[in-house]
Amino acid sequence: MPSPNFALVLSFLLFSIGILGVLIRRNALIILMCVELMLNAANLNLIAFARHSGTVGGQAFALLVMGLAAAEVAIGLALVVALYRRKETVRVDEIDLLKG
Amino acid sequence: MIHGPLHGSLLWLIAFLPVFGALINGATGRRARNTKLVDALALGSVGIAFALSLFYFIVLMRQPSEGRVIIQELWTWVDFGGAHVLDGLTHNTVSWAYRFDPLSGAMALLVTGVGFLIHLFSTGYMAEEREDGRYYRFMAYLNLFVFSMLNLVLGANLLMMFLGWEGVGLCSYLLIGFYFEKDFAATAGKKAFITNRIGDFGFLVGFFLLFQIYGSADFSTLMGMTREVLARPEITLFGLSHAPTWWFNLAGCCLFVGACGKSAQIPLYVWLPDAMAGPTPVSALIHAATMVTSGLYMIARLNFVYVNAPVALSVVLFVGALTALVAASMGLAQYDIKKVLAYSTVSQLGFMFMGMGAGAFTAGMFHVFTHAFFKAALFLGSGSVILACHHEQDMRNLGGLKDKLPWTFRSMLVATLAIAGIFPFSGFFSKDEILWKVFDGWYRHGELGGSQLALLAWIMGMVAAFMTAFYMTRLMIMTFWGEYRGHGHDPHGLRALALPDEHGHHESHHHEPHEVPWNMWVPVAILGGLALVAGFLNIPHSLHWIGSSRFSEWLSPLLFQVGAPEAHEAVPAMEYVLMVWATLVWAPGAMLLAWWIYGMDPSWSKARAFVARFPNLFRWVHNKYFVDEFYEASVIQPTLRVGEGLWVVDGKVVDGAVNGAAWLSLFWGRVSFWFDSKIVDGLVNLIAWLIEQLSWAFRRLQSGRVHQYAFVMFLGFLVFALWKFLV
Repeated sequence: MPSPNFALVLSFLLFSIGILGVLIRRNALIILMCVELMLNAANLNLIAFARHSGTVGGQAFALLVMGLAAAEVAIGLALVVALYRRKETVRVDEIDLLKG
Repeated sequence: MIHGPLHGSLLWLIAFLPVFGALINGATGRRARNTKLVDALALGSVGIAFALSLFYFIVLMRQPSEGRVIIQELWTWVDFGGAHVLDGLTHNTVSWAYRFDPLSGAMALLVTGVGFLIHLFSTGYMAEEREDGRYYRFMAYLNLFVFSMLNLVLGANLLMMFLGWEGVGLCSYLLIGFYFEKDFAATAGKKAFITNRIGDFGFLVGFFLLFQIYGSADFSTLMGMTREVLARPEITLFGLSHAPTWWFNLAGCCLFVGACGKSAQIPLYVWLPDAMAGPTPVSALIHAATMVTSGLYMIARLNFVYVNAPVALSVVLFVGALTALVAASMGLAQYDIKKVLAYSTVSQLGFMFMGMGAGAFTAGMFHVFTHAFFKAALFLGSGSVILACHHEQDMRNLGGLKDKLPWTFRSMLVATLAIAGIFPFSGFFSKDEILWKVFDGWYRHGELGGSQLALLAWIMGMVAAFMTAFYMTRLMIMTFWGEYRGHGHDPHGLRALALPDEHGHHESHHHEPHEVPWNMWVPVAILGGLALVAGFLNIPHSLHWIGSSRFSEWLSPLLFQVGAPEAHEAVPAMEYVLMVWATLVWAPGAMLLAWWIYGMDPSWSKARAFVARFPNLFRWVHNKYFVDEFYEASVIQPTLRVGEGLWVVDGKVVDGAVNGAAWLSLFWGRVSFWFDSKIVDGLVNLIAWLIEQLSWAFRRLQSGRVHQYAFVMFLGFLVFALWKFLV
């Protein structure tokens, strides 16, 4: 059985890049991309453990996450387009309608 | 053999045919292009009703006298449930039922027969209205009247009679006010209706009393139970105990008030002369031949009440005699041809009531019939005259129409002789029979021990009969003899001052009056013929060698027998004396007097001299003793003033109370508003303010920045993960 450590480190890095991107970048498109990064980091993790344990449950779950990610991106992009049409911007720091 | 009531399956049609005509004509007549259709419906329905009446009358004649009744119950009209009457609780229903018996059958024949002739006459008389689009309305009203009258006479109980009683009043109102755009017609209609309402109230009270006494409204039950009711020692109603006769007297008087209204007796007669504002066929149909006889019919129908109510009978006798006399005297000084006939009608109705009051119900009813014929003939004849002379009703502007309207003249002459009571015209048989019965009330077969009232009534009746012959002759002479005084031709200065020109074409037409079309003079001639021969239906017993008193025998099963039926006694010589006196001296004397005053002297100088000598007498009679003015001052004005007073009360007190209540509500509303806006809203705002103050910390959290939210979420996730990892 190959060690999953390498894959786990890669997954950790990817996830960290994703979460930093989400927290730091202001462009909604970049944020969406970073979310994708995070999801795929999780996928990598799942597959690594699946391979390590010799079961297929993790692989199946990864497939499910990919389908979910596709749906999420579709909705997210639609929201961004709608936002742009309304506000003429995709910068999330300029949108603070929920400010109390 | 038992003779139960015969079944009359088509009986209802007699009454309902005219109402079908009325409904169809009333609903569609306005749009009917051709008024001939309206004619066909109106005449057809009444004509078939007449044929049906005739059929049932013949059926009735073929029965033995005790079986002569046909009853048809259509449906239960009113179900009183359990009603408290004398014997405790009984179940009472009043049906929509028709009863065809000798009395109602004869009346139905009269109503439909004379009604048909008058419908026919109307097709000619109302021809001018054909273009105006209201002809259908007239015909529909006439049909509705016939329906109501048939309900009145054919109704098998008092409620049905009352239905007809009200219906004829309504139709009379509608027809008098037919030219409602004219003020006097509308007023006359109202007067007739209101006066009748007063009488109707009396009728209702009498009806309720009878219902309380008998516990039934059905005529058969009423008549059958009378002996049983009379046998009671006393009857207690409304906490009062009196002998049955006392209650009969009360009910009889109340019902007679109704009869006074409908049949135009003193003091409620005032509407009838004014009712001449309606078209002349209406005057003939309603106000001479049929409706005004309903009071008489009611008394004849309820004879079992009246023969047991001596006081009520005396009231009927006296009021009848007084009306006959007073109305006849009013007729002496009228110039309007229809007014003369109107007062004559009132007076003749008085004669009929005299007959009823004397207990001679058949004589009274017989006069109803003969009067219907000759008075309808006179009215329709006067209608022909009026139409031929372009709506001229003032006799001073008529005259000399004898040759111009020969058929009308002949018919009216016969009718005049009949009303004057000349042998052998019908009036002689009916009127002299009444007068003899009244006289007999005092004379009592040779013993002068009867009531003094009967003698007084007889004297009044004789004077009234003299006046009747006089004013009718005066009317005939003024209208038909002498020279025609129309279109300005007036050698003796008799013309009345020019009246306001109502129709706009009096003077523009300078053509001679001429005979009216056939559909007008034929009915008059038929009625005149009937006036000539109808008397032979009821020859008094004293003249039994001429014929028998068929009419009396015909009605006798319906009369309540007080004692054992009297055998025909020897005829007192006095009856012959009076008869000869009346027909040879009294009536001809009056006619000759009228001829001497108005006929022999075309300038009427004797009449004018009389007026000049007694101006006040003439003024009083000509103005009908100022009775209308008296009513105006004593009843109408006070009523109006009371109304005005009530109006003031309404304006000040009732409206004041309402306005006060409104003001109070407004004030209370203001107080509520203040309380709501200051106290309630204040509390709410206070709470809102408090919450706002408390919420500042939470507001800081909600920055609206997505990154912050994401960061917090990430931190939360991290904490969760660490907690999971460490614990």
